[in-house]
Amino acid sequence: MYAVETFELSKFYSHGRIKALQDFSLQVEKGKIFSLLGPNGAGKTTLIKVLIGIVHQTSGHAKLLNQSINKVSVHKKIGYLAENHRFPEFLSAHQILHYYGKMAGLGPSQLKKQIPALLKTVNLHRWENVKIRKYSKGMMQRLGLAHALLNEPELIFLDEPTDGIDPVGRRQIRDLLKSLRDEGVTIFVNSHLLSEVERMSDEVAILKQGKLIQRGTVEDFISIKEQYQIRLDSADTMQNICNDMKVPIKRENDLFTVSVQDDQQLNRLIDRLRQSKTMILAVIPKKITLEDYFIDIIEDKKGESD
Amino acid sequence: MKFLSIVQLTFRESLAKKTFIAFLIISTIINLLFLLALNLDIVDGMQSSISIFGEQTDQIINLQEIIYGVEGFVAVMLFTVGIFMALFATSGLIPTLLQPGFIDLFISKPVSRFEILSGRYLGAVAIVALNIFYLVIGTWLIMSLKTGIWNFGFLLGGALIVLTFAILFALMTLLGIVSKSGPLSLMITYLILFFSPLLKQRDSIYALLSSKIYGQIIDGLYYFLPKTSELGSITQRLTRGLEINTWTPLWTSLAFGIFIFLLSAYIFQRKNF
Ligand SMILES: Nc1ncnc2c1ncn2[C@@H]1O[C@H](COP(=O)(O)OP(=O)(O)O)[C@@H](O)[C@H]1O
Ligand SMILES: [Mg+2]
Repeated sequence: MYAVETFELSKFYSHGRIKALQDFSLQVEKGKIFSLLGPNGAGKTTLIKVLIGIVHQTSGHAKLLNQSINKVSVHKKIGYLAENHRFPEFLSAHQILHYYGKMAGLGPSQLKKQIPALLKTVNLHRWENVKIRKYSKGMMQRLGLAHALLNEPELIFLDEPTDGIDPVGRRQIRDLLKSLRDEGVTIFVNSHLLSEVERMSDEVAILKQGKLIQRGTVEDFISIKEQYQIRLDSADTMQNICNDMKVPIKRENDLFTVSVQDDQQLNRLIDRLRQSKTMILAVIPKKITLEDYFIDIIEDKKGESD
Repeated sequence: MKFLSIVQLTFRESLAKKTFIAFLIISTIINLLFLLALNLDIVDGMQSSISIFGEQTDQIINLQEIIYGVEGFVAVMLFTVGIFMALFATSGLIPTLLQPGFIDLFISKPVSRFEILSGRYLGAVAIVALNIFYLVIGTWLIMSLKTGIWNFGFLLGGALIVLTFAILFALMTLLGIVSKSGPLSLMITYLILFFSPLLKQRDSIYALLSSKIYGQIIDGLYYFLPKTSELGSITQRLTRGLEINTWTPLWTSLAFGIFIFLLSAYIFQRKNF
């Protein structure tokens, strides 16, 4: 059983002119931190909105915790932090958690237990009785997070959760999410910030123009392409050896950039170069980060092929 | 519990607007006036002499007339100014609900969209009912205790005023969902409110029309739209203890309200946010 399952989900806006999501199929395992990464406008928010029922899909279907998304009862087990959430301004954090907790189906005793604990968790307990119109963006975001955790959900959707939060706060949120994950909660994060995703995710999927481009673990992404720059005194044999070894290569004068599978392949390449008596002047590691890979993907215009 | 919290939140939201506080203050002042300024010296049983602000009038007045006069006045004020203000104060509730980032939080809860809209609707009706009955029951108690005459028709009149608001608010709900604009839905609702007396007088308009078709359209509009003008008369007659000749305007207006609300719910159900 998966936490999230989508089957060729599509969502078109403006009578089909905007294809926010196209034939999107995905399974997210339970108990993982899953991140959906993509530039602005990729369709990340649209996906979460379809899953929660805020927008209706154009075609396809989806399940949350093995229940159809058409049934609102599954929302009992779900938490949601909206991208630009808006609470009634005239209420305090405590009042907001009270009203929305009730709406989530919590009884008086659960509210009494949950609200102070959560306010403490997100570090708003000293502000709990202040009207939220006095709150900063970061405080609002933390309140939104507390709101998403009220019903002790099994599955949490967070749309750009660290938006507007300072680095210390970000770290606290990451730690909080990791500890929730360790308790078995599934966390689905939307983000356009790679550095965030890289630090906390178990799995990553990249979305571009409504299409799923790639998915895997963070390690998968980083190790897909280890790049090295190799400087040689003569370029004669390099091209042939690389073709032979099926190593992708780019050339700028005497500087070659090769993308190898791993260190072993790199060493085999060096062995072959040395056997052919080529003088190696330098081997410079250019370890690709998820960020580079991400930018590569966006700029490669992958997914735009049709 | 879940549904109730939506009603409560709407109620709380309305209360945060100054309009309702102003309304409650005005109601309190009116009630205090009746309580302190109106002195009735019961002469014998059903007759009394009356003094307002200590000014004694020499006339001996029928108690029943005093009751009908005061309560009838309050009913008329509530039906006109009261409903006008209530519509004004609640016109933003539906567009606010639909705001991006706000509606999301409701939908993410284990409540259906129908429950969300109904909760919002009932919350608005509840706060207006509270305001109206605060004044109605206050006036009723004061007048009844002073005269010993308990005019239950006035309470029924109060209920009818709330019902009229509820019907008009259904229309404002529909307009709010379609236009997402509070001022626009308010203006169109006012227009229909003012149209009602005109449509009631449609017999005198027929002569001015060039074609029979227009007459039929006007007839159609009359039967379809809420008949606020007639509802106003029924409220008056209820308050004054008069016989009601026909309840038909109430039933057709009620049918309009229910139809419009269900239509709103249908459109709301299909919307993307
Ligand atoms: N309500 C809407 N009407 C029309 N287009 C929309 C609507 N919501 C989103 N879009 C479009 O759909 C695309 C995906 O948007 P979104 O899901 O918000 O992307 P992301 O969250 O990845 O930034 C964008 O091109 C956006 O302009
Ligand atoms: Mg987004």
